[in-house]
Amino acid sequence: MKLTIPDAFGRTSAFAGAPRRGAGRFVLRLWRKSSVAGLAAYTLALGAVLGLASADWATSGGYPFGGVQVGAWTAWPRAGAANADPYTRAVNARRGEIPLAVGEGLLLTAAADESGQALDAACTYQIGGATPPARAWTITVAGRGPRDPGRAPLREGFTSTEVLRTADGRFAITLAPDVQPGNWLPSPRATGPVRLALRLYDTPVAASVGSLDRSSVPAITRLGCAP
Amino acid sequence: MRPVSLRFVYATLVGLVLAGIVHIAAVLVIPGLSEADAVSRARTSENLDHPQSIYTVATGDDPSPPEAWLPIPDPAVAVGVCAYNLADGPMRVSARTGPLSLSLAAHARRGAFYAVTDQAAVRGALDLVILTRAQYDEALADDDENDPSRDVRIVAPDARGFVVVRVIAGLPSQRPAANAAVQAVSCTTDTPSDDAPAGKDASGKDASGRGAGR
Repeated sequence: MKLTIPDAFGRTSAFAGAPRRGAGRFVLRLWRKSSVAGLAAYTLALGAVLGLASADWATSGGYPFGGVQVGAWTAWPRAGAANADPYTRAVNARRGEIPLAVGEGLLLTAAADESGQALDAACTYQIGGATPPARAWTITVAGRGPRDPGRAPLREGFTSTEVLRTADGRFAITLAPDVQPGNWLPSPRATGPVRLALRLYDTPVAASVGSLDRSSVPAITRLGCAP
Repeated sequence: MRPVSLRFVYATLVGLVLAGIVHIAAVLVIPGLSEADAVSRARTSENLDHPQSIYTVATGDDPSPPEAWLPIPDPAVAVGVCAYNLADGPMRVSARTGPLSLSLAAHARRGAFYAVTDQAAVRGALDLVILTRAQYDEALADDDENDPSRDVRIVAPDARGFVVVRVIAGLPSQRPAANAAVQAVSCTTDTPSDDAPAGKDASGKDASGRGAGR
């Protein structure tokens, strides 16, 4: 509260000097004299630049808050809700995203494997195990840079209907740069980070993400890396 | 020298506090000012009576068209949007259930306020009416006691928004059907009654007729 009074004072003095503020030399001279106007201009510039840059940084890219860590995955239950946090709403607005509503489904993303190492396109991973109860789910390779133009778009993901399962209903997807038997998910590019998205459609867990645990989501294990 | 540096530190501190205020204000203002958000982009579909496809799943050798503006779309889910402007009257979204799972979600600027899947369909039909509080009260007053409307009525927080239709294609062979299923949903504006008694009567009959027919 104390800070606002000199702040308001600084503002008025800055406006008084505003017409000439464009001239760099004048500001420099003010700065050398370290007058109130110079300090006020510095304060305002610092506030505007830092504030806008940090707001831009926080709302570009992924959601900064609201994720619930479940094993290697991060669930985003509130991304599409009307009471989402302001950062999530700003991110959605900037990207034109239409997030899944709570009654529709749940989005989980993974950028690292079970051991916490970032997913790399040059490595081979096994994604397997069980999924939370849902009417349908899809596991897809999502974003982080464009696809290699030379690479034919073979497959971007698996749906719960088309994935090959073992007799007990579990499945194992192999994310690898080279052709693999079974459920092969081709790496989107030769090198670089990879992100996976697991979307559960029409699922009861969207309303109670706290009930999810490590054993109910697919595990992501690194099998090896190309040299 | 010493007072100068003290003043400088003081100015920096005030600048940091200002930066915090600017940061919070900018984040709060972004959704309202954004021209690229889903509500603004969906507005082009306001005059259509079916959803505007914003992501059609790739079929065969046809890749997904580039007009898709979803940042990270699900390659197995066809998405369409119907924008509504409740100033023109309540919005009616009718979907027939098919073999593919379908979901409808109503969004306003603040986010999704209602979502329903085809499992909630009554006799194979899903009828959603989105209206303002005043329109809801009017519809309630106009209801025929002996033949209540079977519409699902949802009061929207804002006059503008959109309804998202998502159809999941479990298998690649179902993808053309998923694209078609999105287009098969109808989004119409229930026209407000011009002359009160006749219009009210007509709209009441229309609603009950739909309910009974399906």
